[in-house]
Amino acid sequence: MNKFAINEEFLQQVEMLQMLIKNNVAGLFGGNHQSKTYGSSCEFADYRDYVSGDDVTKIDWNAYARFEKLYLKLYLDERQMHTRIYIDASRSMGYGKGRKDEQALRIAAALMYLSICEMDKVSVFTIRDKQVHEVISSALGKDAFYNSVGKLNEIEFDGDSCISEAIVPSAVGYGDGMSVIISDFLTDNDFQTAIDHLTGKKRDILCVQILSKEELNPKARGKLHYFDSENTAKFYRKNINREIAQAYKQALEYATGRIRDYCAARGADYVLCSAEEPVNQIFFDKFVNMGVLK
Amino acid sequence: MTLLFPLGLLGLIGVPVLIAIYIIKNKYTEQVISSTYLWTLSEKFLKRRNPINKLTGIISLILQILIVVFLSVAIAHPVFILPNAANEYCFILDASGSMNFQTDGKTRLDVGKEHISSLIRSSTDGCVYTLVSAGNSVDILYEELDDKERALALLDAVSPAFTANDVDGALGVAQAYFNQNPAVKTYLVTDKTYAETGNVEIVNVAASESNFAVTDVTYTLKGGKLTVEGKAVSYAADALLHVNLQFEGEGEPLTQEVSVKKGEPAEFRFECEKDTFVSMKLYLSERDALKLDDEIVIYNVEHENSYTVLLIGDTPFFIEAALASLKNARIEKLTKTEYETRANGVADKTVSGYDLYIFDSVDPLALPKDGAVWLFNPQTTVPDTGFGVESVRDLPASVRMEYADIENSPSLVERLLSGLSMTDIYVKKYVECGEFYRNFTPLIFCGDYPMVFTGSNAFGNREAVFAFDLHDTHTSISADYALLIRNLIGYTFPDVIEKVSYYCGEVMEINIVGNCDNVRIDTPGGNVVFLDTSRSTGEHTLAEVGLYTVTVTKHGDDRPKKYYFYAALPEEERDPSASAQSFVIRGEAGPSTRDGTFDSLVILFILLALLFLADWMVYCYEQYQLR
Repeated sequence: MNKFAINEEFLQQVEMLQMLIKNNVAGLFGGNHQSKTYGSSCEFADYRDYVSGDDVTKIDWNAYARFEKLYLKLYLDERQMHTRIYIDASRSMGYGKGRKDEQALRIAAALMYLSICEMDKVSVFTIRDKQVHEVISSALGKDAFYNSVGKLNEIEFDGDSCISEAIVPSAVGYGDGMSVIISDFLTDNDFQTAIDHLTGKKRDILCVQILSKEELNPKARGKLHYFDSENTAKFYRKNINREIAQAYKQALEYATGRIRDYCAARGADYVLCSAEEPVNQIFFDKFVNMGVLK
Repeated sequence: MTLLFPLGLLGLIGVPVLIAIYIIKNKYTEQVISSTYLWTLSEKFLKRRNPINKLTGIISLILQILIVVFLSVAIAHPVFILPNAANEYCFILDASGSMNFQTDGKTRLDVGKEHISSLIRSSTDGCVYTLVSAGNSVDILYEELDDKERALALLDAVSPAFTANDVDGALGVAQAYFNQNPAVKTYLVTDKTYAETGNVEIVNVAASESNFAVTDVTYTLKGGKLTVEGKAVSYAADALLHVNLQFEGEGEPLTQEVSVKKGEPAEFRFECEKDTFVSMKLYLSERDALKLDDEIVIYNVEHENSYTVLLIGDTPFFIEAALASLKNARIEKLTKTEYETRANGVADKTVSGYDLYIFDSVDPLALPKDGAVWLFNPQTTVPDTGFGVESVRDLPASVRMEYADIENSPSLVERLLSGLSMTDIYVKKYVECGEFYRNFTPLIFCGDYPMVFTGSNAFGNREAVFAFDLHDTHTSISADYALLIRNLIGYTFPDVIEKVSYYCGEVMEINIVGNCDNVRIDTPGGNVVFLDTSRSTGEHTLAEVGLYTVTVTKHGDDRPKKYYFYAALPEEERDPSASAQSFVIRGEAGPSTRDGTFDSLVILFILLALLFLADWMVYCYEQYQLR
């Protein structure tokens, strides 16, 4: 079953975008992302005095003619990025009226395509319980994208998810690109450690929080007995009135604000989107405005 | 507090049942959601709530419990006792004719009743009420009644009389109640001003209304000329009144302008050419607060008492001459042949349709059943007459007839022979009547045989017999003859009514004529009264203003005769601002010892209605989330 639907037009538009990497990309292979180190790209960076043994082809002869001294032209280096996408595969993502799982897969597929287009490697992981499961491993090139994107449909959303406990022990790379965590973050479990860990690994971080419309603006009133989809031992039993609805909104503000603030403090990007929101709107409005894409 | 129906409290069993149902029934809607994280987190953001607000969840239960409790209590019907809070009321309502004064569509009596109603309504439950209506007589309509609604209903049924009120009687009743219970509160609702009062609260319902009246109307009819005299009165102020005289069956009334001064009757007089009349109405053109005294209807007594006579005979000259002097008689004559023709045309040979049948030297083929009968010179015995004819005595010379001894005879003889000079009268030929099997009163004798005698026949009709031919005596040319005929007419047709104008409260008299089946009086208010016909005189107390109709039906007569008379409002009730001497209840008033009651049923039902409404709103609030 095709859980997500991304049309060609959208993919063509995504090709126009580019991921902005804040940290120095330290990949082994050349790519499209500029590195802070000098390399062999076309992008001029600086001059330095020629010393014997330097590549004479990089001597700026015009500068020699003017100053009668040999200067070597330096160029920025461009490296290949490894984008790692973590999808929260807990039951809360797939339960209820709002299809947060489908939205998560749509965003993941789009980001995957975007990275592929920039000749980056892409890996997609699912977080279930305390483990990270690799769904797509280092896909490179559009052929690999088309071959592997179908695997996203096979992801089962079930059980609990412990983001930090799953990501921290896994291989997350070092300074070689962006880590994207897609989750509803509706859990008491720790996610801050994962962000800190990724920050320590000089990864660019993008946290995408997906909430359903009912979660963003609940309409239910009256005597309700809510059971948690991930753990039915957890329940909430109240006569929901205006005061409680008001408190819920404050709790939502608090929960999203806590993630947003934490990400901001760590230099990570945070985007909140609705499960019912069109993906192109998320990409072209929210991601671009947030400076994640350009 | 007392409970009228204590078993109603069994309804309180519903309270634990309601609580049990509430506990057993889970009203929460179960639902699985993706995460309860945010909902649980929201608990931290709930403001510290008023402990009372914790009741919000069970407010519906609380309301339902209250409904069950109040409903049970309401069924039990609690009544609270208020010590010494109730009173005993004695209302004396003046129901005299003057209470008919009307302002803005309300009579004084209506105003008085409203006042009493408001007193009853505002009084504490447990009070007792006594209502005394003082009209023509003093009537205790209810006594120590503790039912407000019934007291009000009976009060509403009180209607004013048209007579003066019996103040002394009302005072006597009030004094008796006061003696019995000095705490009784006495109210006199009247339109009169009392100079002296004591232990009574006077509620004066009089307003300064205007009133005009026509009074003291008399008439004389003599020589074809009718003179009507009377008085017009204005009680409130000087006025220029227009008195109208309207004869029955005639078009335009005669009108006379009369200038009257306040309280002083002014005379008026109408004169017109008239031989007779049936009735006439005198009325005022001006409008006032009391219409009852604005008109008077006068009936002609003579017209009322007129009668029809069938005279049968070939030569009834003397009889016709005697009757001609009587104005009330309407005479029809038949010869013997004509009579026999008419009688033979009827199955039982009985001629009918007249008040008096006079047979002059003609024997009736059958005795008439519907009227009085006079027989002159009967030749044969006629059945049902009460006597027989023995023979005809033809004397060679006239003999003197003798009158009955007045002193030693019944009063009827004196009445029938009154005015007669009793000069000697002679007869040459007469009929010997005997075989009397009914009582007759002889007036004139000849030897042992009665010559003129009266009585009643088998049909109960009055009968007079002259046992001789008027041609055979010189009686018919004597002065006593006319007087005797007049007396006999008076005996045969006693005036049913002798007076046609009365005042309310007076007792009118009706002469019960012989052979009378019933005498019925129709009052102006539509009431019907039948008089006792076993007596010679019937009496009826006039309690209503207006035209009365007396209908007299004789036995076997299908032509009931009607008489009319008019009763006017008494003069003392016409003054809109009348005053009276005193209404003092002697004694010292005491404190109330009667316990009052407070019936909380209405309040309970209002509370119940409010609780039902609140419960319904809470239900809607919860069910349809109207918030």
